[in-house]
Amino acid sequence: MKNKFLIFAVLLFLLGLSGTAFAQTEDELVEICGMIAKDATYLKDFKIRLDAGDPPPLQRFSVILKKDIKYRFSVCNSKDMEGKVILELFDNNRLIATTYVIATGKDYPYIDFTCTKTGAYHLSFKFKDGKPGLAVGLLSLVETL
Amino acid sequence: MTRRFIFFVVVILLFSSCNSCRNSNKDVSDAFEIPDSLKEDNPVPISAAVIDDMVQNIASPIETAAVLKGLKVPFNKDLIANTDFAENFNTNFAKALGLGIYGCDLGYLNMYGKTSLVIDYISTIRSLADGIQVGQFFDFSTLKRLATNNENIDSLVLISQQSMSRIDTYLRENNRSNLSMVIVAGVWIEGLYISSVVTQESNHKRMRDIVGEQKEIINLLMPLLNHYKKDPNMAKLIKSFEEIKKLYSDVKISYEIGEATTLEVNGELQIKQNDVQTIEMSDETLQKIIDKVKEIRIKLLKG
Repeated sequence: MKNKFLIFAVLLFLLGLSGTAFAQTEDELVEICGMIAKDATYLKDFKIRLDAGDPPPLQRFSVILKKDIKYRFSVCNSKDMEGKVILELFDNNRLIATTYVIATGKDYPYIDFTCTKTGAYHLSFKFKDGKPGLAVGLLSLVETL
Repeated sequence: MTRRFIFFVVVILLFSSCNSCRNSNKDVSDAFEIPDSLKEDNPVPISAAVIDDMVQNIASPIETAAVLKGLKVPFNKDLIANTDFAENFNTNFAKALGLGIYGCDLGYLNMYGKTSLVIDYISTIRSLADGIQVGQFFDFSTLKRLATNNENIDSLVLISQQSMSRIDTYLRENNRSNLSMVIVAGVWIEGLYISSVVTQESNHKRMRDIVGEQKEIINLLMPLLNHYKKDPNMAKLIKSFEEIKKLYSDVKISYEIGEATTLEVNGELQIKQNDVQTIEMSDETLQKIIDKVKEIRIKLLKG
């Protein structure tokens, strides 16, 4: 009886460890996203995990962008989930940049944004067609102007 | 039979731990620390909505340092805080503040590739991070190796940034946003100090604008700090920052809204914002801001 309890406790501990290993997937995505961003300097990453939904659920973040700096926003999807992430950048309520252009139906792994106004901007992430997904968005610095 | 099974499971467990350690570059002993929430002296709770609304990168050491480097402003060791001041940081609040200040300095050193000075700063940062139980997120060993061997500067910048970012995320997610905000305040004041001194010495228009545009940043920072004003240390910091904010009331920022232009170049999407931001600041106001920032920064360093 004592031994069975011990086995159960060890198995529970192992399950806990596998949870840690799963969490590292997001860090791996950050690394991949860093490669997508090429030689731009890493500034911040955003981890996105959303369930399926109609309308597609959103995950929002606020960022400060500074005047006369060219930024790169890159995105990277987990292969384990079907959702393809879309990043949208808003200045107040104005959509100023996105990784998915509806008119052409084209997805971009990264977009460059030349900022001319220092202030708070809003990043919104969602998965295409409201599918569930796991992704990472990366903000990096390309150059100062 | 049961003993064999337990032995087998323990062996697997050991291998799993080693894998986890190799992948994350973290000390395995750190993974089993007592949750910080149990150690912390009365963390101030904050609602999830407020956390969601918090600006993610309110103060970033990299952008200012990149601008300085881009303008070919020579490296100046005297701009950064001497690590001897670290012994003044004895409370959790002070350690978090120091973490922000030295984190900003590390960004400056990294951007200029001053690896010989980096080790002193990463040692100080690790000690302060350990002091508030977030040392496990600061990848000291990798940073030390990169700096010692004068290896890839890009990796040094990346890992430093990621370490600071992980500390920030961990604190926010573990009901310790108060310390996260103190770190942000530390990064911000040090960044403003560096920009101010360079502006004073060079009177470069771009640097002047960087000091002036901090009006936008302090207007975002103050409401976030004010969430924790019940903490006497925070109240003191807010009072100091209010003095800077007051001086910024004489800085005028105006905008002209323009339509962003989008271009696809070699399959890459490039968007250029066409808003115009104009910053008006008199020499007198600039000087007052510089003097105030210097005064507050040295006061903070002296503890």
